[in-house]
Amino acid sequence: MQKISFLNIFKAFFKIGLILLGGGYVIVPIMKQELTEKRGWLSDDEICDYYCVSQCLCGIIAINMSILVGYKLAKFKGVLAGVLGMCLSPFVSIIIIADVLNKIISIPFIEGVFWGVNLCVIILIYLTLKEMWLKSIVDKFSAFWFVLILALSILKVNPALLIILSIFVGLILQIIKDKKNA
Amino acid sequence: MLEQYFSLFFEFVKVGLFTFGGGYASLPFLYQMSEGYGWFSVDELTQMIAISGLTPGPIGLNMATFAGFKTAGLFGSIISSFALILPMIIIASQVFRLYKKFSENKFVKTILYVLRPTSCALICFVALKLFYGLVLNNDISFAHVNFRALALVLFLFVLTFKFSRNPLIYIAFCAVIGAASYFLK
Repeated sequence: MQKISFLNIFKAFFKIGLILLGGGYVIVPIMKQELTEKRGWLSDDEICDYYCVSQCLCGIIAINMSILVGYKLAKFKGVLAGVLGMCLSPFVSIIIIADVLNKIISIPFIEGVFWGVNLCVIILIYLTLKEMWLKSIVDKFSAFWFVLILALSILKVNPALLIILSIFVGLILQIIKDKKNA
Repeated sequence: MLEQYFSLFFEFVKVGLFTFGGGYASLPFLYQMSEGYGWFSVDELTQMIAISGLTPGPIGLNMATFAGFKTAGLFGSIISSFALILPMIIIASQVFRLYKKFSENKFVKTILYVLRPTSCALICFVALKLFYGLVLNNDISFAHVNFRALALVLFLFVLTFKFSRNPLIYIAFCAVIGAASYFLK
């Protein structure tokens, strides 16, 4: 395989970061287009595999994917190029918007706009949940677990603690399953 | 000041480590920061979510950059984004060697089976909290319901049955309604 330079990886991921809008699965077609079709660095299958692995990791899927792809292309140099490229344009655009927003937010008209937009966030979260729901609540136990965690959240239990608890329960469930089968 | 940078770093390492299942899963931690440290208000956080969905890049990263900027300016946003990414770099590049073996491992599968409903519940809690604040005006007895807000949310909810999931459409629509409601006041 040809050696791929830092700058080339950076450029490719900069473009991906720039055209990526929204979260989750959107990253797959964009990476296929930029990395497979245009550059021939990876196969479609590899990108799908990286997506599967990224979903299983903590953190943000798109960034995990850029780390995995970067590592594959050029080890740690690739990781650095991939992550920097991916993050640069989102970072700059947020800084600019945050700065402008600071200056205009007290204008009554803008406040009105954000009254509507803030309410919209409830629906955006609802849409995300709806999408996650089908993959997450698959049987009685997962439904029970959902209700339990929601109740614990309302009782103000720390979310990090609830994540650790879930990892722990998952481990125990698998150990019990193994014992049953043995 | 230095102390604040450290807490910012620590908090976002936590977000990077405990977020499972996409950008919205980091919301509970951001709300916790808003309540615990008062770095930004819940209203400001809600604006961040909307804007992060509108700008290019992964939503989770956008929110972290935004929150860092609100807390401690440009340097704050560098710290928060770096802290968010750091655990991912360490973990993902280690997992790379295991590759498919990792996602097909039975322990990983069962842990994710439990973690998915957890993420759903944590995100659901954030939505309920927002609804409680913006529509019920923080009063559980329904005595101070903001009917205008309630009507808009219900209307949007009905729209989701018919229309696409594209968030841009909803945000644009709400911005127009918000602007109109300002002029009609």
